[in-house]
Amino acid sequence: MIKAKKKKLTAKSLLSQALIYAGLILFALWVLLPFSLVLLTSFKGIIEANSLDFTWWPKEFTLQGYEKVLEYDMGTAYEGVPLIISGFINTLWIVIPPTLLGLFSSAISAYAFAKLQFRFRDKMFSLLLATMMIPGTILLTPTFIIYNQIGWVNTPLPLMIPGMFGAATCVFFMRQFYSGIPTELIEAAEIDGMGYFGIFFKVMVPLSVPALLAQALLGFIGGYNDYLGPLIYLQDPEMYTLQIAMNQLKSYFAGRNVPAMMAATVISIIPTVTLYIIAQKRFVEGVATSGMKV
Amino acid sequence: MNLEKIYQKRHKKSLGENGSGFIMASIPVIGFVLFGMIPLILALAMAFMYVPGKGNIADAEFVGFENFKEVLSDEMFWQSIVNTLRMAISLPICIVVALVVAFLLTKNIKGRSFFRGVYFVPYVCCAVAVSLMWELIFNQNHGIINSWLGLTRDTAIPWLTDSSTYTLCLIIIGIWSGTAYGIVLYGAALTNVNRSLYEAAKVDGAGSLRCFFNITLPGVSPTSFYLLTTGLIGALQEFTRPQMIGGGNGAGPNNDGLTIVFYIYRRAFEYNNQMGQAAAAALVLAVFILIVTAINFVVSKRWVSYD
Repeated sequence: MIKAKKKKLTAKSLLSQALIYAGLILFALWVLLPFSLVLLTSFKGIIEANSLDFTWWPKEFTLQGYEKVLEYDMGTAYEGVPLIISGFINTLWIVIPPTLLGLFSSAISAYAFAKLQFRFRDKMFSLLLATMMIPGTILLTPTFIIYNQIGWVNTPLPLMIPGMFGAATCVFFMRQFYSGIPTELIEAAEIDGMGYFGIFFKVMVPLSVPALLAQALLGFIGGYNDYLGPLIYLQDPEMYTLQIAMNQLKSYFAGRNVPAMMAATVISIIPTVTLYIIAQKRFVEGVATSGMKV
Repeated sequence: MNLEKIYQKRHKKSLGENGSGFIMASIPVIGFVLFGMIPLILALAMAFMYVPGKGNIADAEFVGFENFKEVLSDEMFWQSIVNTLRMAISLPICIVVALVVAFLLTKNIKGRSFFRGVYFVPYVCCAVAVSLMWELIFNQNHGIINSWLGLTRDTAIPWLTDSSTYTLCLIIIGIWSGTAYGIVLYGAALTNVNRSLYEAAKVDGAGSLRCFFNITLPGVSPTSFYLLTTGLIGALQEFTRPQMIGGGNGAGPNNDGLTIVFYIYRRAFEYNNQMGQAAAAALVLAVFILIVTAINFVVSKRWVSYD
């Protein structure tokens, strides 16, 4: 009797196990199929890619798509440099300096909010809180007017300078982190004669490298994928970031050369996906903690 | 004694806690004042002004509520709200799917880190690439969907250029790219649900379904609330995908892809002399977001449990 019941239970658990795997595999396919389709299409010939007689695997592998994308330079001042490459380089130097500087601003401010007593602390903090309440859309037109007045339109400055002051969300996240570091550690450093800036650089920063890295990665991805900002402020093709270059590539290649378009898509996601694969743990950590404390 | 002296001396040399703290904390606050507060004040002013050219603020004139009248009587504006809300249908689906997937991931299975790794990839893909990816899938002439359905050139469905299917496609794309974030957050939240509750329920003879609805669901309700609130704020400001997937005139068939932000963007940057109206529309959107968020918070008291 008991044995039979046990057997039934295992059969039931086997079934549920199978269902779980089926669900997980189906969802993985749902996520991955579009990627594989893009990848395979990028290796197809133009005629094959335009046919309704669809096959997953290219009948004939060709790199013509990649060649065409890497040839297209719009005939601009960057002549000879393909648009997609100049777009990538532009993206890097528009995104990396503000990400790093902004991270520093956010972290040092987070440390002060978490561990130091000073005048206006709570008022300043609630002011920062208010930042998160403002929907970005409402700032679209006034910031454009301001930047227009000071001659920043059609330069990358509107995309770079504001970020260097740090981001409210990052301050919140890092403040949470620094609050968890025992105050005794700071007192010990004080007795050793360190000033507050010294404590930040020599004690807090080394302790928070993983958290800082997670924030840096998220900041970089956010900047890399930004579309609306560059769309508004960068008008010269030489300044296009990768996302805007993609838009240009689309209007040039769509309908004309589908594999080339897909080659561009593949190239554009390689950097972020690679970064993700290398630093998967940091990414997930950063994202998970961003939503923990509301 | 001696130690204290040194300590005090060193302290005097440095700025002191008050000064150091203030300086350290002030950088993001200055940034907020310069790039948040000042533009915000200007935005409020602009909504009541006629701004000629592409933002020629020096020649702006005060026009009272004219901008609001124009925007609110513009059928396109109302259509953009409807469009945005229709696309936002993907949000609740994303949340439910994310919870189910995250829940399955907590089970005792092999290859968990592989699955988890795969599921997060859409999060790092830019909206532009995602748009191009799905344009390939839904393409009328060579897309995989039409091919799977066995359609020919004559019967092929124009998924992205027909008003009846366009929004559905955008919802599907939204689900594809929107679940990753929720899966990660739910993953973290599910591990924090109190184990002893499950054991107690087991002793009481509760089945796994009842456990899910009575323990798991309330346990992760703060995360659900967070996803819903931030997701709604994001969904109401949707722009990139419909802008990229626009058929022909850039806003999709029948202007179905014209979201609120798209509408504002058009007025501000594609038309002339319309910055004031754009600012007014943005203000309406901001108030709308504020109301929706407030409702969210009020209603949340009924279903979100923080213990």
